[in-house]
Amino acid sequence: MRVRIAYSKLEESRYIAHLDLARVFERAMRRAEIPMAYSEGFNPHPKISFGSALAVGVEGEKEYVDVELQQEMDIGEVLGRLQEQLPKGIRLLEGRVLADGSKALMAVLNSASYRVRLAMALPITRVRLQEALDSWLEREHVTYSRYSKKGPTEKDIRPLVKSLTGEIKGEEVIFDLEVEVGSQGGVRPEEVVGSLRELESLPLDMESIHIKRTGIYVSYQGQNLSPFEHDQIQRGRSKQEAR
Amino acid sequence: MSIMTAAEIRREMERFLPQVSKPNRYLGTEWNSIHKDWQQTAVHMAFAFPDVYEVGMSHLGTRILYHLVNSFPEFLCERTFAPWVDMEEKMRDRGIPLYALESFEPLKKFDVIGFTLQYEMSFSNILNMLDLAGIPVRSADRQAQDPWIIAGGPCVYNPEPLAPFIDFFLIGESEEQLPQVLGLIKEQKEKPRERREFLQRVAQVQGVYVPELYDISYKPDGRIEKIVPAPGAPVVVEKAIVTDLDQAFFPSNPIVPYMEIVHDRIMLEVMRGCSRGCRFCQAGMIYRPVRERSPQTLMQQAEELVRSTGYEEMSLTSLSTGDYSCVQPVIQEIVAKYGPQGVGVSLPSLRLDSFDVKLAEEVQKVRKSGLTFAPEAGTQRLRDVINKGVTEENLLETSEAAFKAGWSSIKLYFMIGLPTEVQADLDGIADLAKKVADLGTKNGRRNVKVTVSTSSFVPKSHTPFQWEPQEGMRSLEEKQQYLRSKLKDRRIKYNYHDVQTSFLEAVFAKGDRRLAEVLEWAFRHGCRFDGWSDQFRYDTWLQAFHELGIDPHFYAHRAMDYDDVLPWDHLDSGVSKRFLIEEHHRALRGTRTLDCRHTDCTGCGICPGRGVQVDLKG
Repeated sequence: MRVRIAYSKLEESRYIAHLDLARVFERAMRRAEIPMAYSEGFNPHPKISFGSALAVGVEGEKEYVDVELQQEMDIGEVLGRLQEQLPKGIRLLEGRVLADGSKALMAVLNSASYRVRLAMALPITRVRLQEALDSWLEREHVTYSRYSKKGPTEKDIRPLVKSLTGEIKGEEVIFDLEVEVGSQGGVRPEEVVGSLRELESLPLDMESIHIKRTGIYVSYQGQNLSPFEHDQIQRGRSKQEAR
Repeated sequence: MSIMTAAEIRREMERFLPQVSKPNRYLGTEWNSIHKDWQQTAVHMAFAFPDVYEVGMSHLGTRILYHLVNSFPEFLCERTFAPWVDMEEKMRDRGIPLYALESFEPLKKFDVIGFTLQYEMSFSNILNMLDLAGIPVRSADRQAQDPWIIAGGPCVYNPEPLAPFIDFFLIGESEEQLPQVLGLIKEQKEKPRERREFLQRVAQVQGVYVPELYDISYKPDGRIEKIVPAPGAPVVVEKAIVTDLDQAFFPSNPIVPYMEIVHDRIMLEVMRGCSRGCRFCQAGMIYRPVRERSPQTLMQQAEELVRSTGYEEMSLTSLSTGDYSCVQPVIQEIVAKYGPQGVGVSLPSLRLDSFDVKLAEEVQKVRKSGLTFAPEAGTQRLRDVINKGVTEENLLETSEAAFKAGWSSIKLYFMIGLPTEVQADLDGIADLAKKVADLGTKNGRRNVKVTVSTSSFVPKSHTPFQWEPQEGMRSLEEKQQYLRSKLKDRRIKYNYHDVQTSFLEAVFAKGDRRLAEVLEWAFRHGCRFDGWSDQFRYDTWLQAFHELGIDPHFYAHRAMDYDDVLPWDHLDSGVSKRFLIEEHHRALRGTRTLDCRHTDCTGCGICPGRGVQVDLKG
């Protein structure tokens, strides 16, 4: 039985790295005595797969994981037992049984929304902020340099940003953005905000940045669907085709 | 400087945690971590591991004592580790003191801080951690409101280089001793006495060594003249021993970190002690006698541990698990019971002569693990000198069986610079490695990989080789280069340790109190994480010796005399000096001494009068 679970990853649990998260879930499942299915071979691994990785330190409001179980179980019981064994900050929100042949999360998730909060280094007016956003959005290309072990690489992040808005709340600036997620590598919210600071000279205190992924979706016919909704549609379509 | 509160530290930390590497090192909310109420507990202890989180959390002793202390309602125990250099920089920049993970309370607020001394190269981290906590590093500079600074672990068998920094050391096994000490600290907190009076009291607990109660004088040539205990202090401090290991405390709900640590698995301690009697090995001397846990106890612990941790792997740990008399049935039972739940078994460091390929296959059933053997020396002559009872036939037979059973890579550990080593012994290492690789090829393994690692012999206190000097650095380096040239074979990979680190390890392993000055100077000039090759500053250490006019070679490269007063002569592991001298003689004659588990008592001195005996369950 394959189940898809939606969860939030907030507060301290945002520091659990993506690779470690698989182990955290695996061990929690074992403590909860929910029998997982294992891969065949020399080094059997439980069949757990996640959607798009969340960077260390970034919170997630609604993330997804697929788990394969050895036997049929009541989904409510799975969620209840697993929740008790998870670290503080990880809350299970919803779970559904997947049909055979449902596509993996990695294969369908292609869009994400983020909320970024950070302090101003100098006062910024509402007008100034809007000017900066408009000017940034008008650009056709925004090159951003990433530094890796192989040296700096330049990347055009503009095409990956679908929308970008901002507002001022007290001493903080809050940005909402929607970006493409994909196999070609996405864009990090701090890169977008960083380029606003550099290119549009917005005095933002990058050290104070707090990032939350507010959702991750399947962008399908102009709509943002949750992977649950998308799976329903896929299932409906394959039923029709079968007829 | 006013000290920050826990809430202030937490608030500051939250600002920059996303910017440091591995932030999970610094959070303390792992599964099964214990968060006790400060108001409801009488004594607050911080257990301090002087290395990074992922190393410290892999140490079984740390885990046992953390849960042991917390099992007492009146005691609270939290953890702290050495912050990695990026974190330390941020903490120092912002004036954040070192804190304990569970409560974020600054270390300075605790009643007692207990360091564990696992290796000499972590000593500088101890001073750095105290300094980062805003606690004066020297006992003499601390006030009554400062915490007691104590230390345990294998290096306390010669803790002299740390004498001015640590209030008292706990020698031996702490399961019974540490709660007694905390009880005295509780009384002291309720009804304070003079420092000296408290120290005299605590010195009466088995295995507690208070360095300031001992006066050391020196001869003009630098050797020790005598060690004089203060009136009322024990003349010789004898280690504490757990008499019934089967009934001893063992945590059933260990912490499960949220990041990968070095030994990221359940550790099931099957026995303590090893009486193989390898003459270079300190652990083999100081943890005597051999005491095993019963299969019933282990299976019950295994059950609780799998339930409480959810770990996917269980390691049967001890100094030499292949020697555990019930190893086969215990492994079979664990594999049968937990294999279907995806829990594998692993065995650390197997010995060749107790290694059984069937056993390894059992382990393999669930999860693959590499094979590591430690012949330690390249010829039978030298293996007899060090009393490593392994023969070339053992190694070759076992390797062949392993290759036949499907393994293709084998690791071999050796030491260079052992007493009496000659050219033939080096050639022996290369020959053995080649023979093993050839067996792999002969048995049709295509990706044969033999990894040869050599470490440089470091003479350790309380061993038959404690009087031996370490070999000079240049000569060790030449030996490494020689082996490198002899091991040119695409199937063989050769690793070796840098000689500077081994040299410094020898200096501190055999050092005395005068080295404390050097340690403090080096720490003040930036030395820390000396065990990490990317952080090790050998030049700074050399400068420290130079500035203070202390000759490191006096410690590392001098052969000591049986008549010399050794810096650790007032500390007793239970193995008698007479036995160590006899063993040293036998080593030089190339005479073996057999394991008392299988033959007669060797007269090492550990059992008589201590209420302990060799305890086998098989």
